[in-house]
Amino acid sequence: MEFDLQNPLTGFEEYHFDAVSALFANESDHMPSFLDFKSTDVRFSLRRHSVFLISQVQSSYKFDGYIAYLAVNYIDRFLSKQAVLENKPWIVRILVIVSLSLAAKMRNVDLPLSDIQRDVGLNFDARSIHRMESLILDTLKWRLRSITPFSFLHFFNSFLKLGDSSLTRSLKQRASDIIFSTQYEIKLFVYKPSIIAASALLCAAEELIPLQYSSCLAAISESQYSNKEELMNALAVMREMPIEGREYYSKLTPKSVLECEHTSSQCETQDKENIKKRRLSDIRDDQTFQISQVQWC
Amino acid sequence: MEKYEKLEKVGEGTYGKVYKAKDKATGQLVALKKTRLEMDEEGIPPTALREISLLQMLSHSLYIVRLLCVEHIDKNGKPILYLVFEYLDTDLKKFIDSHRKGPNARALPTALIQSFLFQLCKGVAHCHSHGVLHRDLKPQNLLVDKEKGILKIADLGLGRAFTVPMKSYTHEIVTLWYRAPEVLLGSTHYSTAVDMWSVGCIFAEMVRRQALFPGDSEFQQLLHIFRLLGTPTDKQWPGVSSLRDWHVYPQWEPQNLASAVPALGPDGVDLLTKMLKFDPSDRISAKAALDHPYFDSLDKSQF
Repeated sequence: MEFDLQNPLTGFEEYHFDAVSALFANESDHMPSFLDFKSTDVRFSLRRHSVFLISQVQSSYKFDGYIAYLAVNYIDRFLSKQAVLENKPWIVRILVIVSLSLAAKMRNVDLPLSDIQRDVGLNFDARSIHRMESLILDTLKWRLRSITPFSFLHFFNSFLKLGDSSLTRSLKQRASDIIFSTQYEIKLFVYKPSIIAASALLCAAEELIPLQYSSCLAAISESQYSNKEELMNALAVMREMPIEGREYYSKLTPKSVLECEHTSSQCETQDKENIKKRRLSDIRDDQTFQISQVQWC
Repeated sequence: MEKYEKLEKVGEGTYGKVYKAKDKATGQLVALKKTRLEMDEEGIPPTALREISLLQMLSHSLYIVRLLCVEHIDKNGKPILYLVFEYLDTDLKKFIDSHRKGPNARALPTALIQSFLFQLCKGVAHCHSHGVLHRDLKPQNLLVDKEKGILKIADLGLGRAFTVPMKSYTHEIVTLWYRAPEVLLGSTHYSTAVDMWSVGCIFAEMVRRQALFPGDSEFQQLLHIFRLLGTPTDKQWPGVSSLRDWHVYPQWEPQNLASAVPALGPDGVDLLTKMLKFDPSDRISAKAALDHPYFDSLDKSQF
């Protein structure tokens, strides 16, 4: 009974419509509230470094993208509730390791955590890691069944009535890709997971079935749960995002991202980190990061 | 745990000792459940994470005992988890007992039975809509606030995988008296209907002030059920005789259910009949039960 991000509440194998209202009722408990604090807040750079490190680790170890997504969700919620934190590289590392470990436990997947720990240069004993685990769990109030945009994909997809199941699948797949990328876009933090899901689906529809876009928009807007204004605003942000498969996406290389990391980094052991980053990025030098340059520099 | 002052041990829960305690800062009464979860070098075990997070999610309902927080403590290097729940002063078993014997022996008010059953169905519907079976519903697990007339479901299974559809469960789950016939007969694919059988038994018990089917072994339990409801046939419950633990039983004719609950009106008997259907697929769901005419006279605006 591992935790399924697309179906977070139920153990039903089939999607269960009774649970939909519970999803909508609870989604706000699983949102970070970064907008409450200033852009100079140290938590922004902690977040940036953590997300960066997770995407590096994920591309080296090639684990399930949901684990990385969930770990970032835990980090976001943790950071948005912790008032005083210093920007120290070890904080980022332990936060990343523990969040990945929690996400992997929820997904019932074994990650080679000691290898990852070695790779990111974290030298903590088990006791400290457990203390961090307790701190994160307390801060998150043990609400690890995060309600994410993935939880609403099936629900909103069912409104579109596309009939063709392969089309429905491709649309859902593309919307999932878009949702994975939204974690890098700080402008989207204000939107609830359900709005992100609905706009990601519309964004996917616009790309894949442009002729049916307006009927999709009409169908989703009719849902009692979606606010059209928010939907259109979120959609506008998504249209501008660098997402794999879009033409300006390829301009973002690991190198450009790393450079912008260096200039903004206040880490003490910058050089050591650079070596690490280079080593990790060597393994995956053909890959690109889905990171919005605008937000990250 | 210095936040709480332990007042008294109130029982042994399904998964450890339960204490009544007071939050020193706020004065709020809480129930502390010490878990037997063992932490290893990997930290909190994955099953505990998944189950506590599910409990946390379900605890949004008014009809589920609220999990207030989870406290870890380190006792001589051994980590222990305490689950901190809201405290209610009594449970339905003690409440029914107090009406059966002693100076206040009298029937439970009809309107209260109706209200308790409605709240129970609300709570069960909430669990089921989240894909969670309780599987151990019994009066002891239903906490009651006498003053406010509130009933809440407690002891949602921690330490037991409780998702549906279920492949194969251990059979030591439901207290015999409230155990559904398909569980007693060894069915390995059972579902939300097992909880509705228990709800039916609890409904009848509130009316009678004594258990409907007080069996002391699995076999006796089945005989109690068959004696009242008749021995089931393949016609009324397709596949019953192929269930793993099916034997040849005495052939009883169904009795009039109303005679077992003489104080209950016709709508109540009709609802009870639907909760005690042999075939799990015929049994009424919690959600449908909420719309049954039995509840027509209930002021639902209070829920």
